Amino acid sequence: MAAGISIKKFWKNANFRLKAGLFGTAFFLFLGYVVYYFPHDNPILFYTHTPRLLPNSVNWLGTTTLGQDIFWLLIESIHNSLTIGLIVATIGTVVGVFVGLLAGFTGGTVDRVLSVVTDTFIVIPSLPILILMASLMRGSATTIMMALVLSMFAWAWPSRQIRSMALSMKERDFIHTAWFSGEGTVQVIATEILPYALTWSLSNFMNATLVAIAAESGLAVLGLSPANLVSLGNMIQWARDRNAIFAEQWFWIGSPIVATVLLFIFLFLLITGYNDYLSMKRGR
Amino acid sequence: MKRKLALLLAVVMASTMWFSTAAHASGRVQMTPVGTPRAQTLIVEFQEPTDTPGQFNSYMQGTSMGTGIHQLMSAMMWEMDTISGEQFGEVAAGMPRSNEDFTEHYIDIREGIKWSDGTPLTAKDVAFTMNMIRDTPHLHLSAYYQLIFESIEQVDEYTVKVVTTESFPRLSMRFGVTIWGNDLRIVPEHIYSQVEDITLFKDEFPVVAGPYTVHSYDPLGNWVLYQLREDWEASTLGVVTGQKPAAQYVWMRYIGDDNTRQMALINNEVDILCEVTPEMLEVMVRRNPNIAAWYDEFPYATSDDPCSKGIAFQMAKAPYDNPDFRWGVALAMNFDEVSMAIFEGAGRASVIPILTATSAMQELYMRPTLPWLEAFELDLGDGTTVKPWDNGYANRMAETLRAQGRNLPTDQEELYDMFGFGCWKYDPEAATKLFIKAGLELRDGNWFFNNEPFVINLTQLADTEVQAGRGVDAAADQLTKFGFNVTNSKESSSTWWNNNDTGNWEMAGYWPTGFITKDIYSQINGFDNTLIVPLGERGSGQQSRWDNDRATEIIKEMATLSPEDPLSYELGLEFLRVAIEDMAFLGFHSGVKFVPTNSTYWTNFPSAANPYNGPWWWWSCFKYIVAEIVPVE
Amino acid sequence: MKFRTYFVLRVFTCILTIWIGVTFIFFIPRMFPSDPVENMLGQIISRAGSMDPRELELMRSSLRVQFGMEGSLIEQYFSYLRRGLLRFDFGPSLMNFPEPAGNIIARNLPYTLFLALTATVFAWIIGNLIGLFAGFRKNKMSSRIMESIAICIYPIPYFIIALVLQIIFAFILGWFPLQSTIFHHGTFWDFFASLLKASVLPGISLMLIGTGWWIISMKSLSSTTAAEDFVLFARFRGLRESEIGWKYVFRNSILTQVTALALSLGGVFSGAIMTEIIFGYPGVGTLIQRAILQSDYNMILGTITISIVAISVSTLIIDLILPFVDPRIRYS
Repeated sequence: MAAGISIKKFWKNANFRLKAGLFGTAFFLFLGYVVYYFPHDNPILFYTHTPRLLPNSVNWLGTTTLGQDIFWLLIESIHNSLTIGLIVATIGTVVGVFVGLLAGFTGGTVDRVLSVVTDTFIVIPSLPILILMASLMRGSATTIMMALVLSMFAWAWPSRQIRSMALSMKERDFIHTAWFSGEGTVQVIATEILPYALTWSLSNFMNATLVAIAAESGLAVLGLSPANLVSLGNMIQWARDRNAIFAEQWFWIGSPIVATVLLFIFLFLLITGYNDYLSMKRGR
Repeated sequence: MKRKLALLLAVVMASTMWFSTAAHASGRVQMTPVGTPRAQTLIVEFQEPTDTPGQFNSYMQGTSMGTGIHQLMSAMMWEMDTISGEQFGEVAAGMPRSNEDFTEHYIDIREGIKWSDGTPLTAKDVAFTMNMIRDTPHLHLSAYYQLIFESIEQVDEYTVKVVTTESFPRLSMRFGVTIWGNDLRIVPEHIYSQVEDITLFKDEFPVVAGPYTVHSYDPLGNWVLYQLREDWEASTLGVVTGQKPAAQYVWMRYIGDDNTRQMALINNEVDILCEVTPEMLEVMVRRNPNIAAWYDEFPYATSDDPCSKGIAFQMAKAPYDNPDFRWGVALAMNFDEVSMAIFEGAGRASVIPILTATSAMQELYMRPTLPWLEAFELDLGDGTTVKPWDNGYANRMAETLRAQGRNLPTDQEELYDMFGFGCWKYDPEAATKLFIKAGLELRDGNWFFNNEPFVINLTQLADTEVQAGRGVDAAADQLTKFGFNVTNSKESSSTWWNNNDTGNWEMAGYWPTGFITKDIYSQINGFDNTLIVPLGERGSGQQSRWDNDRATEIIKEMATLSPEDPLSYELGLEFLRVAIEDMAFLGFHSGVKFVPTNSTYWTNFPSAANPYNGPWWWWSCFKYIVAEIVPVE
Repeated sequence: MKFRTYFVLRVFTCILTIWIGVTFIFFIPRMFPSDPVENMLGQIISRAGSMDPRELELMRSSLRVQFGMEGSLIEQYFSYLRRGLLRFDFGPSLMNFPEPAGNIIARNLPYTLFLALTATVFAWIIGNLIGLFAGFRKNKMSSRIMESIAICIYPIPYFIIALVLQIIFAFILGWFPLQSTIFHHGTFWDFFASLLKASVLPGISLMLIGTGWWIISMKSLSSTTAAEDFVLFARFRGLRESEIGWKYVFRNSILTQVTALALSLGGVFSGAIMTEIIFGYPGVGTLIQRAILQSDYNMILGTITISIVAISVSTLIIDLILPFVDPRIRYS
């Protein structure tokens, strides 16, 4: 009962962005994690359908030059890319925020060591290492593996940002007040800083999701993403490889791009909407 | 704010208008962006920009030959007629004259060739070049020359005498062009002998014997502009053929990725492209009627590139070491679908291991082997046998493609030329039996080997060889459909070639085949089983680690025979039969090349209707093609 | 803490970072199963079609000596630290032997810097301005439209944006060349005009894609700042909105963005790859890509060392300057 009321209340207070974002993101999660489990043929296999069909009642988005069903290819791509993106963003954001806050607030040797490690990961360009890693993943090329490799570089940037945020916040009056009133560091971080860093972290989370999907696409464009991983990046690459752009097979090349863009827009609406909702609730 | 925005817009518009008028002006007088008249300039693509612009010395390692150096300027000892598969002398006048045991060779040099500075090219230059390679330890060829050559000396002005340390019947094949080019390129003695260290001599303004010289080049490595020599009659081309190339300038340029290449050809900004995919070609042909390839219509491509693509097996690993397993793989694949997936059905089937089914090889080796192939049987291990040869491929493929609205010839011989004599049968039942014979187990629809779930790992080279890569994708697709658990990964070129040697692969899209001459010795000598090294070590040859005694005997025997010896040919045929029995390599197609030309400014490119040469712009024989290309009136 | 102590410590960590970074990049490629010699041999063989096995063996050992791969890894490492880090002498590029890697980089780097730095800085300025307005004046129509456009463009894969620009302005309209051709043979003006002409489309495409993140992050920063007490207080004091925007919101949010800009400079090289491939623009992006694919160790080291040093030093400078700009940060 109580939960029902609070959801109703939440919905009443939610702004348009939040609502649209919630709907859209839920739609993608539905596609990626519910529709995905509906029984269907393995969409990566060639010539399971007539090649080069336009959308019809069986192949909702048509078929590729290789006789693959674009709709199911897209669903599997969304599933895999979303999984990669969410894992990378979660690891990146959680580790990043934790390391950043720890470094920023404890200071001293801990800060220095953490900063050096963070900085090293920032100054090493990620693409070369990713290319090297990609060539190591032979045979064990799973979605999870890909996500872990991409995560290696996803945490350093937020960590540094959060640290500098923490440094500047540390000197603010309300933190000092909290400190003097005898709250411990952890408590101060949890009650005073975290909400403050949350806005930034959320947009970072959203961005990290996209960056992870884009990084995988980047590898795919260089031809180094595992050849049997169905992902948004590989789907674009396969279409490109078969000249879908100039052959005007718009549904093939277009659907993964539109999906990427929509996914990002919905995440964006969700997160900015949520931020607005929070600040409204705080009465500011 | 609004005013600022308006100002910004005005600036942007003004500048774009300036650019557009500038572009227009240059279009009216038909000049190329490098300032030569378009009507006199043949524009040819090269495949990679060079990082060493202005470096034209072919004996510096980093020099990229493909930017026009070896197509237009280099002097080769022997060149290749790519249609007949026979060599002819370019700098040399005819083939070497050797003694009985092939240890002493006399090479006659053509008279009349002059370097572009007017100095005659003589035996002195040839002897100097070969000695220079032998005596410059920094050259990576040097050690091999020291091993092979006892002495190289000039006998008279137009004769060179070469003494080899061992019987060397294939002198012209090793030191002349057989496919792409050759690393022996004659240099002018009067210039290179003055140079202190030839491995550090850039040769920015090269003196050459070929028909073109460097006019100018891009210091960033994206293009080189070549100009026809005024004394072209005295160039190698002029002396060999007497033909004057019509193109005053040849602009070799890098054009970027596939999208840009298509747009550039459609917009007539380039006349000749290197390899493209059939999907690209069909778009370009539709958009610009002047664009064509080897054939005017489907299948467009020539199948005469001497490098067949397919699946190689790492035969030092179980179960890949078992011929039954390898035959199982061959029969588990539906070759019709493989062909469709690679190049939409285009291309000549070349399924015999080691052999590449070029037109010449079809006649020389395939046709004589056909009766044997028809009768060839495999033991399936349960008392039954199967005849794996399927001769219906060409007609079946033609029918499938006709049903798609393609226009194809009906003549049987023409179809054999287009699609090859046949392929391996698609027979999953027999394949299953062969896998079981090879020790695999089928439990509830899943394959096991040594009581462990069996996974086939396929690898391919990332992003360069389209035909090989698509072949691996198609193989992965077929084996997945058959019921195997398959992974398919791509490797960067340095990983790929390193793994090739160390044997760190199971099934992969390597291409251990590639020859164009009747004599196949230089092609197969790497399959000598004494060259096999353990996995993890780098050997020389035998990357597939195919251990076959009879094959090795044949190689040893052929080594001492002249390429013209009929016995050598007989042994070659036997070698192929041995390779088939063992399924040493699973071939798909011969090298299928879609090489488009644009006849808006230039015409008479080689084609199926006019096959005076193959469409090999990136080979050293390109100079002979340039001589045939004429401007459109 | 005194400034001097802070300074010494910060410089020390900077050097430490560079050292760890280059050590990492020295050893990682060498630990993978990839090898420049085998790569070169593979390419030679696939062109030649066939090769005498003995010849292959001789060539392999000669290349190993030439490429400096005979000494122990540690020896190679120390010689690299001595020459590479101190004198920027990385040895010969292996794929272009014996041309020094440093020469090739020096020839290409100015183009990458010219294009990518201009695009990055412009994108940063435009993005932050739009982001500031979007965050500070959330309800203005113009800032909303700008923001929406940016949000829609940002997630589109870069090569699609570049390709669309190329198709419209080079292929159909013909205003710009499909492939950049830069003149070095005429006057300086010819050179400069051709460079500008070649840079317009790549520059615009990089800016379009780069602006998005700055808008998003600046918006979230400035909207948080705009909700702070001191901004409300300023409003109560009756300051004009534009003054509040600049003096309070902007100045408080921009610091994070300055650091972010310095850090994002590292992305300049990887972002350059696609630009160079699509527009044929000269630069180091494809150089890095090819070096990695072919295991050209010296070229990898050269390009990445420069990138590592550039980013480390620019963050060092910003860290040293920041406390002067924002007095609230103490040296710690």
